[in-house]
Amino acid sequence: MKYVIETQNLGREYKTYQKKEGVLNSIKGFWNREYTTKAALKNTTLQVESGQIVGLVGANGAGKTTLLKILSGLIYPTTGTVSVLGFEPWKREPEYLRQMSVLLGQKNQLWWDISARDSYALLAKIYDLDLIHAKKRVNDLAEMLNCHHVLDTQLRRLSLGERMKMEVIGSLLHSPKVLFLDEPTIGLDILAQTTIRDFLGRYVKEFKPAIILTSHYMDDIAELADRLLLISKGEMVYDGTVNQFLQTTETSKKLIYRYKNDHIERELVFHSSELSEKLNEVVKSGEVLELKIEEVDFEEVIHSFLAKESRI
Amino acid sequence: MKKSFIAFLRRNLAFSELAIVANLEYRFNFIIDAFVQPLITVGIEILLWLAIFKISENTMLGGFSKESYLAYGVWAPFLGRIAVSWMYESMMVEEVASGSINVILTRPISFYEYYLSQMMGYKFITTVLSLLAPFAVSLIYDLPVIYSRIPLALSLVFYYLFLIHTLSFVISTFAFFMTRVRALTLVKNLTLWLLAGELVPIDLMPPYLSKILLILPFSSGVYIPVAYLTGRVDAELISQGFLSTSISILIACAIGNWFWKKGLQEYTGTGA
Repeated sequence: MKYVIETQNLGREYKTYQKKEGVLNSIKGFWNREYTTKAALKNTTLQVESGQIVGLVGANGAGKTTLLKILSGLIYPTTGTVSVLGFEPWKREPEYLRQMSVLLGQKNQLWWDISARDSYALLAKIYDLDLIHAKKRVNDLAEMLNCHHVLDTQLRRLSLGERMKMEVIGSLLHSPKVLFLDEPTIGLDILAQTTIRDFLGRYVKEFKPAIILTSHYMDDIAELADRLLLISKGEMVYDGTVNQFLQTTETSKKLIYRYKNDHIERELVFHSSELSEKLNEVVKSGEVLELKIEEVDFEEVIHSFLAKESRI
Repeated sequence: MKKSFIAFLRRNLAFSELAIVANLEYRFNFIIDAFVQPLITVGIEILLWLAIFKISENTMLGGFSKESYLAYGVWAPFLGRIAVSWMYESMMVEEVASGSINVILTRPISFYEYYLSQMMGYKFITTVLSLLAPFAVSLIYDLPVIYSRIPLALSLVFYYLFLIHTLSFVISTFAFFMTRVRALTLVKNLTLWLLAGELVPIDLMPPYLSKILLILPFSSGVYIPVAYLTGRVDAELISQGFLSTSISILIACAIGNWFWKKGLQEYTGTGA
């Protein structure tokens, strides 16, 4: 099978200057500086097929963004090999850059001082697109995201949610075969998050690009990703589907209950196979007034998984 | 090949338009930059030359009349203003230092051409508008200006801008290694200001220094075009200016390219 993204023992180290406290050390640092080397990514081997959405999850500093930066050609790997669409990303060949897109949720990709429509016209020329076709695509995407009314407003005057919709359109204008989404819903309200999430889901079904998605909102991953990669301290600690992950992890159900004459709502988190046993325990301990069983938040599951592995 | 060249032209024309559209969004800033700043410089230059002639009590200095120096004082700040790229240089440095260059690195465009075309677009619009002022002043006060020489003089200044942009590119690549290069930028720009002959006409400098400065490319930014325009020198010096600028562009491009490649290997994509 031909993979869209392939990495073999990929690694990246960063060299960091260590500044000791105080003025004297600042003066000393003028001619003598100490550096430490930290591995941000270690021995990462990965294959991604076309049309697959991979959710990349990990704590801050785990190596997610470093991996995305290498795959998108922003930085060089220190070790290992990488191929995206048959290209070595760090060479930044125009043919590769025309077929991929990066959306960094915390950074503007479009031009701040002009309207989104002006930005798209410029992008169409950068990617050498047919202008009429590009305009039609903008209209189609704007319709899907319900944001036609803000296309002619200067980007800096838009709300965060509207701006993110504009950024999403900009990143998809040239129909990329590979898309790297780094926190596309960060800072957005629930409504805007849901709109963008739904849009991405529909877009992927229709156009089948390969996507690597990082997000701190686990709903994004749970609803969009058909494959989950957990990364911790620069290493892959889990690679499988979201469902498999939920099944294999020990904390997958939550019992919420309240005893008679008790104002506190209690919670018990346990593995699905222990349901009868835990129910018995709860019922035996007192007269239950309210009881419900919920799926544990995906976020909690991941957090407890990483904590258990002493990975965070 | 032909198609890719058309795409290249279309893309770069779009960058130039971007600079014009983006700058015209901020009318006040644009007016200050295009008119007020050069007008203040003209005022300073004129006062300086009037004071020098008054103190010296001569009608000629270095073989040129007061009117000749006033003409120099009117045109040098305007051409000097065209021949610098402080604004775009600081943007380029900031892009590298802050990591916002990521947007350019992940698109099929080059950092060099992106900013070159933007700067040229901006320079074109500011030149068209701001040159009306020295033109009018020269006509009203009947200053010794040879108007038929304006196209060639401006061509040299715009050609010189390629060198200025390439130097800005070199400086911005230093930000990959050192992050903050503002002090270097300031020193470089002050040096160019002096070497270009904007502050003092090069023909007033000691002969050995003036010879060196005329061989260097920097006089092509201000002194040579203004001296040509005001009749102090002839077209031969313009040709020399084109030649020295061309050689310098090649050298600066080679240096910039080397630092760019090394810089990208060091780059950590900070800010992304």
